[in-house]
Amino acid sequence: MAQTILVIDDSSSLRQVVAMSLQGAGYEVLQAGDGQAALALLDGRKIHMAICDVNMPRMNGIEFVKAAKALPNYRFLPILMLTTESQEAKKEEGKAAGARAWMVKPFSPASLLTAVSKLCLP
Amino acid sequence: MTHPAQVDAQALVDLSAQVLPVWSRQLASSRDQSEVAVAEMLAAFTEIGPHLDRAARQSHQITQALARGDDGITQLTQACDAVLRPVMAGCTPQASQAIVKVMAMIHACVDALEQIAKPFEHETQMVSQQVDRMYRGFQYQDRVSQMMTVLLNDMAHLQLALAQPDTALPATEWLARLESTYVMPEQRQQHGSDGNPGQDASGSETTFF
Repeated sequence: MAQTILVIDDSSSLRQVVAMSLQGAGYEVLQAGDGQAALALLDGRKIHMAICDVNMPRMNGIEFVKAAKALPNYRFLPILMLTTESQEAKKEEGKAAGARAWMVKPFSPASLLTAVSKLCLP
Repeated sequence: MTHPAQVDAQALVDLSAQVLPVWSRQLASSRDQSEVAVAEMLAAFTEIGPHLDRAARQSHQITQALARGDDGITQLTQACDAVLRPVMAGCTPQASQAIVKVMAMIHACVDALEQIAKPFEHETQMVSQQVDRMYRGFQYQDRVSQMMTVLLNDMAHLQLALAQPDTALPATEWLARLESTYVMPEQRQQHGSDGNPGQDASGSETTFF
């Protein structure tokens, strides 16, 4: 069965680009427009990994990581931050919140898939 | 009596109150149109994407099949060489010449197969590189949108500030607050007057924690 990846970004075009890259490699994709919408999808279903933007309305990416890590079922969910932010201080914030990796946009599908294959739960 | 400087300041506030909303609407409209344009291109790309993938896969399969055929003929050539070389010494000159001719034809066949396989390999690589570029290109709209949103928010902020006549507007604080809202290196570079335009966003670097 295909692994499911949750993609969280307030830009629908960005979500689509990420989804196309992942689906082309055989992953199933769930999408959410912000952290709050993404949290609603963490309802017990099996999710193998999340790819999350940082700057989003309602609930930003760092807040989402903290909230997801507080859920017992998703404590070990690997989260890759995919963002235009490249400042070290922000990266440290993401690391402290519990993110597993930080990738700066624009990404190339090959590097995204490499990171996903390293982080995705079996 | 109203001081001329006060009249000027009031005129500037009135002018800004009318002009800033127009700028904001124009900027918002530009952002929306660029989003629509990218959404349209993405929709088209979503349609052709699977066809491109299939074409790339088929091209790869053809290249592999040709390589297998190529290997098979190379092995056949070597086997023929091994079998015929010892008996050629005892053959008549005519028979020897015929064998050499047949062997040359088989070798030409190997070369021809190699020539057929090369363009397929090249095409597959080229399509995959261009698809990669398209994926990266689509992501720039997100950057434009984020930059415009920061400006729109700042214009709305200025509008609010101007509507409150007693509010002090220290430029240094204003610019520092604006700078704190930036999310991309390009924004920070452009903030100062010594901004260095035209630098590409490199991206794609991954830091694992």
